[in-house]
Amino acid sequence: MKIGVFIPELLRHLFKKPATVDYPFKKLEVPPGFRGSPYLRPELCIACRACERDCPAEAIEITLTNEAEKKFNMIIHNDRCIHCAQCVDSCPTEAMQMDNLFEISDYDRHDMKKQWDYVRAVVKPKAEPKS
Amino acid sequence: MSFEIPIGPQHPALKEPIGVRVTVDGEIIRDADLHLGYNHRGVEKLAEQKNWTQNIYLMERICGICSHSHATCYVQGVEKLMEIEPPKRGLFIRILVSELERVHSHLLWLGVAGHEAGFDSFFMYVWRDREIVMDILETISGNRVHYAINTIGGVRRDLDELQAKHILDSLEVLRQRSEYYQKLGTTEPSFVARLAGVGYLSKEDAIELCAVGPTLRASGVPMDVRKDDPYAVYDEVPFEVCTADTCDVLGRTVVRIKELMQSYNIIEYLLKNLPDGPIAVRAPRRAKPNEVVSRYEAPRGENIHYIKSNGTDKPERLKVRAPTLANYAATIKMLKNGFIADVPLIFAAIDPCICCAERSVAIVEEKTQQERIVTMSSLRELNLKITNYQARKREAEWPL
Repeated sequence: MKIGVFIPELLRHLFKKPATVDYPFKKLEVPPGFRGSPYLRPELCIACRACERDCPAEAIEITLTNEAEKKFNMIIHNDRCIHCAQCVDSCPTEAMQMDNLFEISDYDRHDMKKQWDYVRAVVKPKAEPKS
Repeated sequence: MSFEIPIGPQHPALKEPIGVRVTVDGEIIRDADLHLGYNHRGVEKLAEQKNWTQNIYLMERICGICSHSHATCYVQGVEKLMEIEPPKRGLFIRILVSELERVHSHLLWLGVAGHEAGFDSFFMYVWRDREIVMDILETISGNRVHYAINTIGGVRRDLDELQAKHILDSLEVLRQRSEYYQKLGTTEPSFVARLAGVGYLSKEDAIELCAVGPTLRASGVPMDVRKDDPYAVYDEVPFEVCTADTCDVLGRTVVRIKELMQSYNIIEYLLKNLPDGPIAVRAPRRAKPNEVVSRYEAPRGENIHYIKSNGTDKPERLKVRAPTLANYAATIKMLKNGFIADVPLIFAAIDPCICCAERSVAIVEEKTQQERIVTMSSLRELNLKITNYQARKREAEWPL
């Protein structure tokens, strides 16, 4: 045992750059594959409701607005979303995607809602939906 | 003369809400009593209303530090229920993430131990280095805390060559830093003096009180689920169970630093022997009526999930026994005959995760020495009494 074993380490760090970044002015890049918020590509959605069924936070809502024209309305409640990307995994046609934004806070949770009105796409599913 | 000091549920010395009542004689703790249930969230009941897939993410959110532990424990159980076998590559990636999680959890704990012992610069350096492993986890899973890498039947994301190289490179830095901290921990006299002899738990007591994880191993009992009842691919991964025989907080620190080294070896082995092939198999939506107990060695100790299915796509019952709950009985033993000032340190040494452990709730009324369970009707009576009392108070005259 000796006194002051930590001092050389402390002195060395006096001449190093800080470990933190100046956040609001300088931003770190997120890695590829980062799970941001989900969004819909309406031209691909076949309205199979696999995402709605598997969403753990019940953040996805799909409603049939016009039965004759096969019109659907999809709401993603981003205030409830837990960013697990299960909807992306469940989607059989790659209509659900994740962006890579991370500054997604808002003053009002109702403003975080995202909506799409679309006609159901006629796309053949590439693969069976993952459970 | 002795009197009781209530510590918590909200207290600056505690990182998470837990109630402790300690009976003290001067500065020395004679008895301690824990009050649980403050952080109850009803996760088990919620799990009965969600399907197997949704529950992975719910289980992950039991705890932020050992999120992968709970998810893996659950997924393993469900895979047994559904009678599916995940592919080898999937299992390798799963336990790779679990070892990375152990590294980040132990580094976090090491920092907290430094902080509780009054060695704050140690805390800051350790937590800076912990960022390296957090970044690795973010690269391979897409999130820093809730990795969501598990799915029923395997894992969700594959690992490419570039990522494997990145992990191996970062691991070299981490290994060097951990070796430095090990050297520091054993040579810095004030740090050692603060930790040695605090929170003594003998080997016999540790076994008798069913302690788990590093708390048990620091009392000289080589017990580890990864070795005793190997799950996933742990039976083919070479590693050692780390123990210490000082039976105090210093021993728990040493065990965790040794385990860090073992984890680095395991990660290196996994990356160098990663088999090719698919990462997941397709899982059915329903499970046959059955029940299963799944065990997993979380960074804090043995984690147990009991899952019962009834043929639908939802579990009938899901019971979680988190490692912290198993360590509570031993904590009381450790607190006895210690000093009040040691309470935060002893609590920190079991690495408590209150939000993991709070599964049950009981309404308990505390009087001077007695406790009883309060029924709804007696609560109503109590309420009436208070209202009456306030009515009398309203009639009281203003004292001025």
